[in-house]
Amino acid sequence: MAIFPVLHTSGSGLRTHRIWMDAIADNIANINTVRPFDDDAFQARFIVAQAVRSDNQDPPGVGGGSRAAAVLFGDAEGRIRYEPDHPYANEQGLVRYPDMDLGDQMTQLLMAQRAYQMNLAVVDRARDTYMQAIRINGR
Amino acid sequence: MLDLAMRAIQASLDGLAARQRITAENIANVDTPGYLAGRISFENSLAEAIKDGDPTASGINPWHSLDPTRMNGNNVNVDDENVSLVETGLRFELAVESMNNKFRILRDSIRRDT
Repeated sequence: MAIFPVLHTSGSGLRTHRIWMDAIADNIANINTVRPFDDDAFQARFIVAQAVRSDNQDPPGVGGGSRAAAVLFGDAEGRIRYEPDHPYANEQGLVRYPDMDLGDQMTQLLMAQRAYQMNLAVVDRARDTYMQAIRINGR
Repeated sequence: MLDLAMRAIQASLDGLAARQRITAENIANVDTPGYLAGRISFENSLAEAIKDGDPTASGINPWHSLDPTRMNGNNVNVDDENVSLVETGLRFELAVESMNNKFRILRDSIRRDT
């Protein structure tokens, strides 16, 4: 049982959302990664967030926080484009682009960033609250 | 002159200060290739020492984080370190406030008035 439990709960949220932002950064960095037609296209990264079991918390069921449980990969088929001049093009002039939507990725980035900020706000607020509790007996 | 509780608080302040230092070091080395995040444990040792009646005999044990590393062999997580800074700061504050209370009691018992 931690002495300041809220910090650990929001801390886990910070970590989960930072990992999500890492994945989105990966996706955006590879938005134009071209692959030969015979290979798999770059697959978008999806983070699976999971609530952490909190049976040993007080009270049980509260304050477990979250964690990034797994990474799932998107469509390997990608988007096939006709670019006959591309060095990777096959005889029909086809290459594979990743099947990702930049607008969608930016929206996810915004969501992850806002959630990160909210967890930071909780850390801030919890610190103020605990600080006041510490000073209850102060003169 | 310091009683058991005060010596326990003092040992706890030492441990927390060490943790604060190592956290600062971790944040400073967030981009250093091959750097493993440092950790400090002193609570178990302090609990044992208090049980044996001599908190000053407790030890501060540094060790390295076993978290997975990034491509450059570094495993510092800034968010974890920042939460650690806040928590250690609060615990330090709590210990300082407890020490202040002990001194207040001492001062009140020395003074005739009040």
